[in-house]
Amino acid sequence: MAGNDRVSLNDALSNVEVLDELPLPDEQPCIEAQPCSVVYQANFDTNFEDRNGFVTGIAKYIEEATVHASLNELLDEGQEHAVMLYTWRCCSRAIPQPKSNEQPNRVEIYEKTVEVLAPEVNKLLNFMYFQRKAIERFSQEVKRLCHTEKRKDFVSEAYLLTLGKFINMFAVLDELKNMKSSVKNDYSTYRRAAQFLKVMSDSQTLQESQNLSMFLATQNKIRDTVKENLEKITGYEELLADVVNICVHMFETKMYLTPSEKHMLVKVMGFGLFLMDSELCNINKLDTKKKLRLDKIDRIFKNLEVVPLFGDMQIAPFNYIKRSKHFDANKWPLSSSNTPSPQADLMVHLPQIREDHVKYISELSRYSNEVTTTYKECGSDTENKETAELALRGLQLLSEWTSVVTELYSWKLLHPTDHHQNKECPKEAEEYERATRYNYSDEEKFALIEVIAMIKGLQVLMARMETVFTDAIRRNIYAELQDFVQVILREPLRKAIKNKKDLIRSIIMSVRETCADWPRQFQPDQDPVLKGKKDPDTGFVIKVPRRNVGPSSTQLYMVRTMLESLIADKSGGKRTLRKDIDGQYLIQIDQFHKTSFYWNYLLSFSEFLQKCCDLSQLWYREFYLEMTMGRRINKCTVRHHHNEECNDLITMEKRIQFPIDMSMPWILTDHILKTKEPSMMDIFLDKRFRVECQAIGAYLMPYPRANRYETLLKQRHVQLLGRSIDLNKLITQRINADMQKSLDLAISKFEAGDITGVTELDGLLQVNRLCHKLLSFVGPQHFHTMCKLLGYQGIAVVMEELLKIVKSLIQGSLLQFTKTLMEAMPKICKLPRYDYGSPGVLGYYHAQLNDIVQYPDARTELFHNFREFGNIILFCLLMEQALSQEERVKNWKSNKKRLESKYQALQIVPNIEKLGTAKQAMISREGDLLTRERLCCGLSIFEVVLNRLRSFLDDPVWVGPPPTNGVMNVDECTEFHRLWSALQFVYCIPVSENEYTVEELFGEGLHWAGCTMIVLLGQQRRFEALDFCYHILRVQRVDMKDEVVKRINLKRMVDRIRRFQVLNSQIFAILNKFLKSGENDELSVEHVRCFPPPIHPSLNPQQHYHAPEHLRQC
Amino acid sequence: MATPNRGETVQKQIQQDWLNREYIEIITISIKKITDFLNSFDLSCRSKLAGLNEKLTILERKIDYLEACVTKGETLT
Repeated sequence: MAGNDRVSLNDALSNVEVLDELPLPDEQPCIEAQPCSVVYQANFDTNFEDRNGFVTGIAKYIEEATVHASLNELLDEGQEHAVMLYTWRCCSRAIPQPKSNEQPNRVEIYEKTVEVLAPEVNKLLNFMYFQRKAIERFSQEVKRLCHTEKRKDFVSEAYLLTLGKFINMFAVLDELKNMKSSVKNDYSTYRRAAQFLKVMSDSQTLQESQNLSMFLATQNKIRDTVKENLEKITGYEELLADVVNICVHMFETKMYLTPSEKHMLVKVMGFGLFLMDSELCNINKLDTKKKLRLDKIDRIFKNLEVVPLFGDMQIAPFNYIKRSKHFDANKWPLSSSNTPSPQADLMVHLPQIREDHVKYISELSRYSNEVTTTYKECGSDTENKETAELALRGLQLLSEWTSVVTELYSWKLLHPTDHHQNKECPKEAEEYERATRYNYSDEEKFALIEVIAMIKGLQVLMARMETVFTDAIRRNIYAELQDFVQVILREPLRKAIKNKKDLIRSIIMSVRETCADWPRQFQPDQDPVLKGKKDPDTGFVIKVPRRNVGPSSTQLYMVRTMLESLIADKSGGKRTLRKDIDGQYLIQIDQFHKTSFYWNYLLSFSEFLQKCCDLSQLWYREFYLEMTMGRRINKCTVRHHHNEECNDLITMEKRIQFPIDMSMPWILTDHILKTKEPSMMDIFLDKRFRVECQAIGAYLMPYPRANRYETLLKQRHVQLLGRSIDLNKLITQRINADMQKSLDLAISKFEAGDITGVTELDGLLQVNRLCHKLLSFVGPQHFHTMCKLLGYQGIAVVMEELLKIVKSLIQGSLLQFTKTLMEAMPKICKLPRYDYGSPGVLGYYHAQLNDIVQYPDARTELFHNFREFGNIILFCLLMEQALSQEERVKNWKSNKKRLESKYQALQIVPNIEKLGTAKQAMISREGDLLTRERLCCGLSIFEVVLNRLRSFLDDPVWVGPPPTNGVMNVDECTEFHRLWSALQFVYCIPVSENEYTVEELFGEGLHWAGCTMIVLLGQQRRFEALDFCYHILRVQRVDMKDEVVKRINLKRMVDRIRRFQVLNSQIFAILNKFLKSGENDELSVEHVRCFPPPIHPSLNPQQHYHAPEHLRQC
Repeated sequence: MATPNRGETVQKQIQQDWLNREYIEIITISIKKITDFLNSFDLSCRSKLAGLNEKLTILERKIDYLEACVTKGETLT
């Protein structure tokens, strides 16, 4: 683009909008959790970098923001060190050690050792410096806050929480350091080499090295240093009690979002109490003084016995308490007891999770339907609020389920099984196997799979709606914030000014000035509130603007902290500001403070959506690898009576990784494939696909498909551990290779043997052929090939032959059956009134149609004939579709060729007439007629077929005598559609477990036959209005009854009816589409305008027509 | 209007900040949309390329077969 070509913002935005309209088909069912190659997350967290912009805020909190910023940086750094420690793998094991002092290349080895390890050791040094700095900083903060004057002041929630995060960081780093023996080994290897080479010459370096080795070697070093430092500060325990209390409060009121935040709170409680309990301070006494609530904490610790610490490392927070000085088991009745924690039992949670899932999914789909059907620039305030709440609830649910999974996993890791508890577990099972593979019952594995499927499924759904969600979230937050600041805060401000409460006035003014987005750039100075006066009688109107943007992170922090200082109910004995604010305003401010807690999460929706669904923990195993060094003990495997000598055969194999079959994801997958439980396969394979279909309201076959690997086979790109895999190609490759190998084998076997082996060869080839046949299914490609091979002429001949079969069916056996059955039909069959209730209606029809229900040949001969008929129709339809696709391709190539082919086709006729037999000539002439029609008039073959079919239906039995009332038959059972209604009644009756349903036996051909005949006879509207089953459905929809009538389960029957109703209307729509093009007025019987029954938008069958390949074959 | 004092200047700046951030938000939303587009484009391309790949493989196999037919004839004579 040239430099002077300027694109305006509007142009750019509309360019982006246009992208939406580009069709990007991806023809595979979605089975993955949110597949994406590019992740875009805008991070607007400035870490208080912009604090100086808000000079109107109270100076104290701007200062606090500065402290926060630097503390957050330390926390981030701590996280990096934690990752460094966790992922540390032993280097020294791989480094050769000099065997003796005489070894000639000894110096070389040492030099290399130092060279290799020096950068790693540098990381350890940095870690040591870091923890020193962090502890110092932390103690400094505590000291500052514990100053007697400062104690009277209020400490904000955010501040206490940051201190809590520090406590958590110390706990994590300490445990990691304790656990990693490889770090210590590596360092001593380095030190030995360095000392030998005398690299560390000056005393400072030597001292440093000494310090580092002491630091690494001393267990619990960080923890003890923190405790030591804290104990020097007077009154530190009160501040820590505040930290612990805020954690308890936040945990109980669910003021957290991600699972890791939840677990952090619990860890802080444990570690915080441990730090508090010392010579000087007894936590039990604090409890009696009501400064702590140990009973509450006891309950929390029991409910969460084990929390993830880092990766696959776990910690039992109660252990901190047990190790503390004044531990008193009586204070901890629940945690000390041996009853199992609810954390260990997934089954308790499952029903609730299922219920929540169903509820939320249905709410979400309702909402997403609304969004897709009604496009709006932006919703109303209430709508935005609802959407934002929906988003938050979704995040919370996801987080809850993820917590349940990770907590169970953590608990299991810390409570491995053994061969006594689990018979499946072999005696020599490895440690990690005992914690994972053998530690879950079948039931638990299924439940885990189900919950994981729910998490990942909902994640995909919510991620798809991200733009809608975030839009509503921003608008909602903006509106709530501005309304609150510009309108709601006026009253307390007026009061404060009037009563001369200067502090309150200045805080409220600060809040307003910090974040109000005044419509006219600044606070309206004529507002009577500013003078503490009443509004004029006409009212003072403030028009609060609306924008699509949330507050900045610093802004939000400032506002929330300042408001918190207004409503804080404790501030170290000093008179609280709370007392000077009216109760009603307090409630409003409090409410705002509570809701706005979640705004940070909502404003970074995509980030937290991902964090709430993060199950990567299931893959981590560094801790177990470190503990067991990946050891496996190999014993004597020879089958004999083991003796002393066998002990010599015992070897210890050290591995750098556990085999994948010990990992949770693998275990779960393996479990699904092994047990072959169909419903689970479903969940695993296409649960998401199903959920998605439900969400967009599409109809889905509820009965299992003939081939349930279909979904998997269609996968052309699956993201797996960062790679994209063409599953389809891989499977094809393997199957091809296998087939080839098997053929090869057959031939080489034949070549190696004598001539009699030829029979065997033939047999083997047949087996292969059969295998190939079984692997391939009828699909569009077969019809394409048929089209190509047959050409117009051939197709015409085939269709002609098919039509002959249909003719004989219709005018032969079907007519015969119809005549017989029509006699068995009741003469009059009314639509009973709704008053009878659905069970009554069902009973009525069952009695009326008893003869048909009992008719012995229905399920065998009659349905079979209809099925043949229907399959022929379907065949013709698919041929038509394939043909028009072929034509499109040809058209695109060149029009000329098409003309040529047309001429060729025409020339066949005279040739055959000259050379062929009379019969051939006739066939070709007839076939030519069909194709010529197609070519010249652009008619579809299918339509011609339908019209030909119509001509076969000439017997009066199909339509019955003309209606006596001259308009139409209502209750009389003389027309064909009444008979079909009766048959529909028969096959809608649910079958018992061991019987086959009609769709399993006959597929969709049956329905195609019935519907085609009804349409061709012009009875579609009457059928839809008067059908027996539809009537039962309508009545049942009203009274929602569920009973067993004459051994028929009403609910199940109605479900089946609904299913077939949808199918029928789809078939009707397709047929009508083809018949419409050549609408023939004489044939359309109806002159009365009929209204089709309303179809619920969520069941709108239109969506299905785009995928004719979904039509089932039989 | 009175001459704007310091408080008013700050309020003006804050208001300006809201405006700027809204503008940034609009750009961000658009980038997000572009990313979404790229992702679905990626998926669509992958499946189309996979389809093409499959067709090529089929052709290759056919050529293999034909070659085998031809060379067999040669070696036999």
